[in-house]
Amino acid sequence: MDKKEGEELLPKLLQEQENNGWISERALKAISKQINIPISRVYGVATFYSHLHLKKQGQYIIEICNSPSCYLNGSMDIIKVIEKELKIKSGETTVDGKFSLHIGSCIGCCDKAPAMLINKKVYGNLTKGKILEVLKECRS
Amino acid sequence: MQILKESSMMAFNKTVEKGPKWVIDTLKNKGLTGRGGAGFPTGTKWEMVFNEKETEKYVVCNADEGEPGTFKDRMIIEKNPKTLIEGIMIACHVITAKKAFIYLRGEYECLKENLQKTIDEVNTSDIEIQIFQGAGAYVCGDETAILRSIEGYRGHPSLKPPFPTVQGLFEKPTIINNVETLTNVPLALMMDDWDPKLKLFSLSGKVKHPGVYELKEGTPLSKLIKLGDGEPKAIHFGCFGGCLAYEQFKDIPLTPEEVLKADCFLGSCAVIVTDKKTSIIDVATNIAKFYEFESCGKCTPCREGTMRVLAILENIAMGQANSADIDTLLELAIVIRDTSFCGLGQTATNHVINAIKYFREEFEERLCKSE
Amino acid sequence: MQIRVDGKIIEVAKDKTLLISLKNLGYKIPSICYQEGLKPEGRCRLCVVEIAGKLVTTCNTYPKEGMEITTNNDRVKVARKVNSELLMSEHVQTCSIENQDHELCQIIQDLGIRESRFNPKRKWKVDLGASVIRDNNKCINCGRCVQVCATIQATYAIDFAGRGHKERVAPYSDHELNDVACIKCGQCIAACPVGAISEREHIHEVIEVLKDSKKHVVVQTAPSIRAALGEEFSMPAGTLVTGKMVAALRKCGFDKIFDTNLGADLTIMEEASEFLNRVKKGGPFPMITTCCPAWIKYMEHFYHDLLPNMSSCKSPHEMLGILANTYYAKKINKPRDDIIVVSIMPCTAKKFEITRPELTSDVDFVLTTREVAKLIRHFCIDFKNLNDEKFDPALGISTGAGAIFGASGGVMEAALRTAYELGTGKELTKVEFDQLRGPKGIKEGTVNVNGIDIKFAAANGLANARELLKNKDKYHFIEIMACPGGCIAGGGQPLPVNEEIIAKRMEAIYEEDRLLPLRKSHENPIVKKIYKDYLDHPLSKKAEMILHTYYTPRSEF
Repeated sequence: MDKKEGEELLPKLLQEQENNGWISERALKAISKQINIPISRVYGVATFYSHLHLKKQGQYIIEICNSPSCYLNGSMDIIKVIEKELKIKSGETTVDGKFSLHIGSCIGCCDKAPAMLINKKVYGNLTKGKILEVLKECRS
Repeated sequence: MQILKESSMMAFNKTVEKGPKWVIDTLKNKGLTGRGGAGFPTGTKWEMVFNEKETEKYVVCNADEGEPGTFKDRMIIEKNPKTLIEGIMIACHVITAKKAFIYLRGEYECLKENLQKTIDEVNTSDIEIQIFQGAGAYVCGDETAILRSIEGYRGHPSLKPPFPTVQGLFEKPTIINNVETLTNVPLALMMDDWDPKLKLFSLSGKVKHPGVYELKEGTPLSKLIKLGDGEPKAIHFGCFGGCLAYEQFKDIPLTPEEVLKADCFLGSCAVIVTDKKTSIIDVATNIAKFYEFESCGKCTPCREGTMRVLAILENIAMGQANSADIDTLLELAIVIRDTSFCGLGQTATNHVINAIKYFREEFEERLCKSE
Repeated sequence: MQIRVDGKIIEVAKDKTLLISLKNLGYKIPSICYQEGLKPEGRCRLCVVEIAGKLVTTCNTYPKEGMEITTNNDRVKVARKVNSELLMSEHVQTCSIENQDHELCQIIQDLGIRESRFNPKRKWKVDLGASVIRDNNKCINCGRCVQVCATIQATYAIDFAGRGHKERVAPYSDHELNDVACIKCGQCIAACPVGAISEREHIHEVIEVLKDSKKHVVVQTAPSIRAALGEEFSMPAGTLVTGKMVAALRKCGFDKIFDTNLGADLTIMEEASEFLNRVKKGGPFPMITTCCPAWIKYMEHFYHDLLPNMSSCKSPHEMLGILANTYYAKKINKPRDDIIVVSIMPCTAKKFEITRPELTSDVDFVLTTREVAKLIRHFCIDFKNLNDEKFDPALGISTGAGAIFGASGGVMEAALRTAYELGTGKELTKVEFDQLRGPKGIKEGTVNVNGIDIKFAAANGLANARELLKNKDKYHFIEIMACPGGCIAGGGQPLPVNEEIIAKRMEAIYEEDRLLPLRKSHENPIVKKIYKDYLDHPLSKKAEMILHTYYTPRSEF
């Protein structure tokens, strides 16, 4: 079937996010032009979703779940460990451009709490040791 | 588990053979109801869309399982995607929709590849089934918000009427069903002993064995807790369903009606366990943070109110609040519930209202002592 | 259809929302986000009533037979109070709640709320645009500006951005309005119920220059000011206050009071001649009017292919501006630098227009109708009780053709009056072109000039203009005005504005035309004199040089 106006907007934004790790103003303009949607609306949509980033992100985007199931299983400790290890807070990117950190909503892995996503891959039943190991792997 | 049985296209083939009316009647007779939370009879919903004169129609599978503590749809997509796809194909066939969307939440991107493979393998019809990936917005679980999101607008909910069955996606009649519902469709059509009362419960929080449990609706809460091995102080039915005091309600049968008597919503059957060591205020603050983050911003009470609820709870948690703050919190919470635009806001403060109701002494203990 | 409101049985129309029906029945249900003519969005949640145990917003609810409504019980009151407090906390508390200009502040007063229990939490950067200012600290996210910009003006300069408590109205990338394709029409200002969007004021600059005795300060007033200014001084909509306006401006200390209507007559002379020229040469058609600076900017952003279709005529106040600086300055023997031209305009886009480099600062300041009312109040002038005075004759005599520029279709009508007579040499017996009058968004008609059927059309509101332009090849001559109804409903006009008020202002303008002895621009004696003494004839070299301009393509973003 033919694509309807608008139907391509979110997929294109996600594609840009995946290809470049973030969505630049230039990309917003290009998408607006390609699918003939006003740029104010493109921006409105791009700023609505928490997985779309309009600032340059690190190579690894870490999303830690802090919703109740993970919270009850110690997600705050996990957050502290990562913040200390990477020396950044939620929403920030490490100086070397390797990691970005986001504390967010439930990722649907409540049976593996506490859990996090790194570039959309699930890491569950986290412990301090496990986190340090994973970060080490990313760094190498 | 009933939900993991496969129909292997028998239901779809029979649908093609027997026609839409048969499907609608069978679903009605067997009593399949929506598993997303609202519990609307599936056959009736399909019939409404079937009766619309419009020739262009759509099916949307809601796989935006965003409710914290819910992960049953993830399990289905992982373990029984074939039957899900078959359910979608049946829905399309019944209403002669040429296209279906599976709105897969952004957090489940890891499931996308396998799901696409299944579509390619199972879908030999000329129906187009497209996985539409979300990008992280809880509100898109709302059926109107999901439509706006696919249409390339901000995922704001929109006014009803018009209802999606009349004017849904691209203003065309649309069936929106969640993953568990659509997966049940082929099973309900094919299995003689299919049981409409078997539902999936996602159990998590402070339990030794979190996971998805398939139980008959009406099973006492304590039985589920025993399966997970926990010692709860409080139970939260996801974030939206509110909380109750476990001791007082441990024998409550898990049906929407009975749970409602405790001022909670069973909804998508998520059960989160808070143990005796954890402060209910801290959990409430955590949930309030979730709503502050996920409110879409469209209406005043939710946009402004969820932020204020969080601020007051943080104040209470830090021991800096007085008793007037609890009154303000309760008044605000009730207005948010009563006047918000969509289900997100209308349920965003159930947990606070119930926490004050069932655990008021915990709140009072934390009040500023110098008052 | 019968419903029960607070126990009483009441008859209501079934195709009207409860909010509208209840309002007509004398219930003042508070409501902020709904605006007449726009789609109800149900954002503010103030207009709730109780129906069947639920709180329901009336702006989007239609009556059902036997419906029972409670408009004012405790639950409803608490809900309105809490939601008002929430909005108030957002609409910076420093805004005094006595501010009657703000719909929100009025509602808060009516509800008897003294203060909000919630403190302001956010701090936004104020967008200090050259003509339109946006202060998100006052904004309550009602969405009216966004809807107007999109659905009425098809400009999409602003939309909502962010989510939840971070949601705000913003141009893309949170740029300033100056840096995006905003046409400065100011319709968002007219839509805003809390004064979060307003014009960039130049009152103080004008007051300063009035103090400077070396400067010769002339002021000109656009056609639509006199039909609306009275509203700022509690006079009924549609009162013509030409005489009082002139008297007030003289009292403010302006040296000469000129009439933009004369500029309009000049515009017609040039534009009608330009059109007849194109008829002779066979195009390019359609020729499109250029009096509206918001439309010009719109074209420069979004319609580059129309550049050759645009008339090259400057807008009326720019024509008068340059004449004041040249023709008039010479007459009174003053150097151009000592002449200050202030234009009183119904328009915020005119503030942008005067900054165009190609227009060489012929007009120094633009004040909106609202600003000039403030100026008059600043000088403690009792506007209502002033005796009528007349414009200064040097550049202050005009015709009915100039007067009707303020209403959509008016420029076209004025141009046709002159084009017909100049083209055919015959007298036009009926000067009214009824096809071009009235509130419709798109109007069209045909007139025969020398055996050629001239097809003309006028559009107001840029979404309508977009529609019209889809069929542009059908027409010879098109008038476009950005604001719905034309300049009488411009972004700088008194607030509030609604369809009824617009209709009354429009009537007043046509009334002025009807009462004037001269109703065709080419009959204006001053215009004749200017051509005789200074410009020779329309489209002369001199006229081309000072009365015509050019346009620049701009980015669509």
